[in-house]
Amino acid sequence: MTVAHGLRVVRTGWLVSMKELTHSSFFVLVSILQPVIFATIAFFMVEAGGRSGTLLYTALGAGLMGIWSATLFGSGGLIQWERYQGTLELLVAAPAGLVFVLLGSTLATSSIGIYAIGATLLWGSIFFGVPLDVAHPLLFVIAIPVTILGLGLLGLVLATTFVLYRHANALSNLLEYPVWLVTGLLVPVSLLPGWVAPIGWFLAPTWGIKAIRTAALGGDPLPAIGATLALSALYLGLGAIAIKQFERLSRERATLALT
Amino acid sequence: MSASPVGLPQSSPPVAFLRTFFVGGVIAYRALFNWIRPSIYIPTMLGGPLFQILFFSYLGRFSGLRDDTFFVVGNAVQVCSMSSIYGATMTLANERYFGTLASLLATPANRAALFLGRTFPVIANGLFVSVFGFAVGAVFLDFDLAASALPSLAIVVLITVVSCTGFGMLLGAIGLRMRDVFFVSNLAYFVMLLFCGVNVPLEELPGWMQAIGRSLPLTHGIAAAREIASGGSLAGVSGLVRAEALVGAIYAAGAYGLFRFFETSSRRSASLENF
Amino acid sequence: MGESKLTHYILLLYREGVSVVEAESLRRVYRTTTGAVRRRPLEVEAVRGVSFAIGQGELFGLLGPNGAGKTTTIKMLITLLIPTSGRARVLGHDVVDDARVVRSKIGYVFGGDRGLYERLSAFDNLRYFAELYGVEGRLIRRRIAELLDLVGLTDREKERVEGYSRGMRQRLHIARGLLHDPPVVFLDEPTIGVDPVGARELRSTIASLTAAGKTVLLTTHYMFEADTLCDRIAVIARGEIVASGTPSDLKRIVADRTVVELEAYGVEERALEALRALPGVDSVAVEARDQMQVVSVQSAKGLELTQTLLAHLDGARVGRVSAREPTLEDAYVALVEDEAR
Repeated sequence: MTVAHGLRVVRTGWLVSMKELTHSSFFVLVSILQPVIFATIAFFMVEAGGRSGTLLYTALGAGLMGIWSATLFGSGGLIQWERYQGTLELLVAAPAGLVFVLLGSTLATSSIGIYAIGATLLWGSIFFGVPLDVAHPLLFVIAIPVTILGLGLLGLVLATTFVLYRHANALSNLLEYPVWLVTGLLVPVSLLPGWVAPIGWFLAPTWGIKAIRTAALGGDPLPAIGATLALSALYLGLGAIAIKQFERLSRERATLALT
Repeated sequence: MSASPVGLPQSSPPVAFLRTFFVGGVIAYRALFNWIRPSIYIPTMLGGPLFQILFFSYLGRFSGLRDDTFFVVGNAVQVCSMSSIYGATMTLANERYFGTLASLLATPANRAALFLGRTFPVIANGLFVSVFGFAVGAVFLDFDLAASALPSLAIVVLITVVSCTGFGMLLGAIGLRMRDVFFVSNLAYFVMLLFCGVNVPLEELPGWMQAIGRSLPLTHGIAAAREIASGGSLAGVSGLVRAEALVGAIYAAGAYGLFRFFETSSRRSASLENF
Repeated sequence: MGESKLTHYILLLYREGVSVVEAESLRRVYRTTTGAVRRRPLEVEAVRGVSFAIGQGELFGLLGPNGAGKTTTIKMLITLLIPTSGRARVLGHDVVDDARVVRSKIGYVFGGDRGLYERLSAFDNLRYFAELYGVEGRLIRRRIAELLDLVGLTDREKERVEGYSRGMRQRLHIARGLLHDPPVVFLDEPTIGVDPVGARELRSTIASLTAAGKTVLLTTHYMFEADTLCDRIAVIARGEIVASGTPSDLKRIVADRTVVELEAYGVEERALEALRALPGVDSVAVEARDQMQVVSVQSAKGLELTQTLLAHLDGARVGRVSAREPTLEDAYVALVEDEAR
């Protein structure tokens, strides 16, 4: 299987998943309504609490929270859906290579997160006067797709876990708030106990939000962008290895929960 | 098998009512509540609320808005919605999913017993989740409650959970006809985080949002709970408690009314997509 | 539109006696919408003036094709639908005014995969409905055991229904319908989708119900099921009863006919239409069996049509040809096609 073929599979998977996701009520809820409502809560809190100058920071954080929710529930949901429909076995057996098939879908789940950031910024600027001036526009525009890539690949790692463990889906509910906290999307990690921060270093959203925030508010986004890309490569490697293991195991044991 | 024209002896109406309510209520809950298995219950009903309380409390510290107690009380009461909204929606709407409505409505069972019987496991579950929420606050955050305040707090929380369950049953009744009612339940959950004074004091919201908040469950109950937590008495919050009970009663009446309406209308009407 | 003479006669007979189930000119109209772009309201008359009466201990069959109005009729009788006009009574109680009493005296069994609580075991499903039917507490356990034994599910009672086969679900539906030992049982297509062995067992269970003195209304589109089980049958097509009587009565409708059966491959609709138009041919029915089609041609006895038929089926390959006596199925086809014309 050539890389060119693989990339075509990714592209097709991405297009199909995007179409499916944007037409579901889940999409509207998780990518637009939830981020907007959480952003609103946060706006009221920081304004009433007297923490001035944090509106853009808050809007961006809430937007990224939305990208993570979309990726988390999207990746798990896609796998559960395939399993429920009985097509998971077919995917695993597909000659195209499961990693490419999954990659297109998980990238789609994080891509719809772009609506989340757009929504929180738009909503914030209209109703809360969030200033939309960005310190480094070009790097800002780069940081966003890089973040989406990083989160999508983290979604790939999640998806492979969901393929392996049938009930891992119940854990998705458990990974929403903790990741928001540990990666410092809204609440600075400095406010949390010291042992939390190192966990966040291995999660793409930590660097993604740093990249986006420094690009918007001032600072040097490049190290964060680099870290996000490095983690993305790591996730791709992990995902590919996990899938290879899985293919081997499923052929050896034939007892893995594919239905 | 007998050939008697009256069939097997049936319980007297009051006994039948109570049995439908209690035994039937518990069995229906087990049949319809999706998250009953421990492997799903623990992460969803306990894990989620735990981190929600931590998240908003830390966000509260960051914003400098109020102390931990404010956020712990608000969120610990609100997380009953995991049962009172999601669980309540399931215990009605899932009948549609399983296609059991026709069999249910073909029985002579008392409709009020049928409906109300499902609420008490929902309420018990909601209460449990809220208590867990308070425990989380006590263990991980700066939340201390005087032992003397516990009984009053328990009463306020109980009334609030019942009230919220009434609202949840309304959503469940809507789910008997609406296909994607869980979208509405999810939306209700987030909306209540914003409008009910859970994380933003009601007085900080614009007037129209306050009005919406006051017409929703949780709002008055949370305010009462906060007063109790800061040393107030049950008598002092009686106005708030009555308001919460009234709001809940209105939603509960609406829920039962809608449930009965759907039953009569599907017998009488109109569309071909009956059950 | 009047009822057929036969129905009227039978109703008269039964009004003298004690009917357990009475349907009087039942009508049911549905309002729905039509059109994909501009939805216009449409009224569909699913049941148009159905009347019949069932006596005590009778196994009465309502036989008809899909969409004929069988399920709608049954739903009116079991109080789940209110008739647009007409009346119905079960054990003397009006199905609209005395709905609660009627519900406590009837059992309702329907076919299909849905209608059970998947997460619960068979035992718990039955326990729930036992409570809803108000069966006395101390009798519940014993009753459930009796019924599980009757339908042969005793050793699987603790398993969750989600793992049950279609046949097992069907048996559980029957057990559920009998929990409160109702004197009247309504069965809506109970053997649909069940494997042949399972279906045979179900049928013998159904027969045992009337043997025990219950009154049964059965809807089905399986001819042989109606023939073997029912004391009397009403054939319903397009919302109306087109004939009613015992299986022999109905077969007599076609007694003066003969049926030529041809096994053919690749018969086109055009050829069938041509056959229908032939003089002397009463009806032509086609049944698809794997790759083969069985064409049944009804005509009056004595007409030697075989050669003419073969001539008209020129384009197709024809296998076995046989002539036989008409069965209940042929009577049914004749009645239903008659209604269609």
